[in-house]
Amino acid sequence: MTYKVDSSVLPGMILRDMFGIQFSALESMSHPPSPVPRPLSSDYALCCWIPLYALRLEEARRPELTARPAALLTADTTRRLWQVSPLARRAGVRSGMTVSRAIGLCATLRLCEPDPVFYEEEFARLVAALSRVSPVVEPVELGRAYVGTDGLEGLFGGPDQIVEVVQLRIADCGLRIGSAGVESAIHNPQSAIRLGWGKGKFVSWTAATRAKPGECVIVQPGEEGTFLAAQPLAALPIDPDTHRRLRQLGLRTLGQLAALPEDAVAAQFGDAGRRLWRLAAGQTVEPVTGRPAPEPVAAQLTFYSPVADRALLARALDRLLDRALASPRRVGWRVQTARLSAALEHGGSWSTVVTLRDPTARREGIAAPLLARWDAAPPAGAVERLTVEFTALVPGTTELQLFARDADAAARAGRRRALRAAVREILQRLRRPMLYRVIELEPWSRIPERRYALIDLDE
Amino acid sequence: MRNAERGARNDRLRALNVPRAVTVELDDGGLPLRIREGGRGKGEGWQSVASVGDVWRLDDEWWRRLIARRYVEVILEHGGRMVLYEDLVTGEWFGQTS
Repeated sequence: MTYKVDSSVLPGMILRDMFGIQFSALESMSHPPSPVPRPLSSDYALCCWIPLYALRLEEARRPELTARPAALLTADTTRRLWQVSPLARRAGVRSGMTVSRAIGLCATLRLCEPDPVFYEEEFARLVAALSRVSPVVEPVELGRAYVGTDGLEGLFGGPDQIVEVVQLRIADCGLRIGSAGVESAIHNPQSAIRLGWGKGKFVSWTAATRAKPGECVIVQPGEEGTFLAAQPLAALPIDPDTHRRLRQLGLRTLGQLAALPEDAVAAQFGDAGRRLWRLAAGQTVEPVTGRPAPEPVAAQLTFYSPVADRALLARALDRLLDRALASPRRVGWRVQTARLSAALEHGGSWSTVVTLRDPTARREGIAAPLLARWDAAPPAGAVERLTVEFTALVPGTTELQLFARDADAAARAGRRRALRAAVREILQRLRRPMLYRVIELEPWSRIPERRYALIDLDE
Repeated sequence: MRNAERGARNDRLRALNVPRAVTVELDDGGLPLRIREGGRGKGEGWQSVASVGDVWRLDDEWWRRLIARRYVEVILEHGGRMVLYEDLVTGEWFGQTS
């Protein structure tokens, strides 16, 4: 059996070893490398904010946390508190506190080890959902991202409609935050998501901080000055010292700050003061700047004569996946959604899409669900052309990559997964967690037993 | 730490380097001659002290519940190093890594 190369598709590739049959095939990346992308930006912004994002994710994983004071530890070695639940705040616990002080204030405080890889993965899911609405998405920190809305009016309508679309996309992405799913994120006072829309990032962020849970505050064009004037100084991105100095000057709102001469503020606080004054007066519009998202990666194989043999097609799928995974654009990203499509002999087509619960960059992890779909509902005829496409990618890989942009994250994720597996196994066998992490309590203490403690290593 | 012991320690936190009780036989100068760890298990037997190293004192928290300890670093007969302290409030001896 001989197959010929279709030279119209580049770059071509010859497969020689499929079941010992020599044939030629072609494979191409359907999206050739593009030139350096033009920076994306948008003046009008929708700020999507989830306060205490990491803690909310933990509450979704462990619902018992919602009923008691809880706090997340920092991921670094200082072992201080990072995020504190409202119940714990009520007991006087604050972020930045040492563990010993927090326990002293609230003996029933539940401490959680952070899982930054998980938070990043879930946040990537949220960002991906926002990217379906607008190509201009700027993640700022975990739980806060801006969506550029310039030009979306033609697609969706006014700000109200854009907000609604964004809320629906968020609800659709499967993210779970807090004790309730994001399905109930819209117009739900129990929801953790707050939205703000306005001109520039500062206005939209301030609007989001004013929004009730599950709601959106929209600042109509031209009303920025009025809106900002009533906001407290705390809305400004300032350090505590500057905040204190401004309050000592008798200033309480952005309007009071904007009422001062710009040069006077600049004389007191320098360039930073000038920037603050312009933000307060609504004279600075900081646009949303998008980042390039990876384009879908695809690989295609055209058979010279139609193939119906399942084993041969499975082998061809493996080759296609190998090629797609080897794409330089895929490096540093894991596949979340893969589409397998086939052009059939008499003009028909067949297609299936799988969304992987655990995004992966392993061929087997992608091929297995695709083949399962294939077996469950095979195409009606022989296949002329087979295409694999990775349509959604999430950052981070668990395989070792010397030049990956996220080698550290991958290493962390690998270690954590191994530890979790060990914890699960020990729990099953011994009914008790036997793995602990050493945390600092009072490392400066002269009394040795007060310096360090062991904390359960959570699953 | 006492708060933690009352509240969450059993659940989440376990202090490291907790002092363990030891029985100590002293010489005329008040320094250890022989020690016996705990009351059970392998440390049941007495171990002779080959030499005494550093001796230091720790006083702290006089404002609430006085902590006064006299630490003694000893080298045991079989070559092991150990740090002991005498609780100067109760007169009890403990072993602890300093």
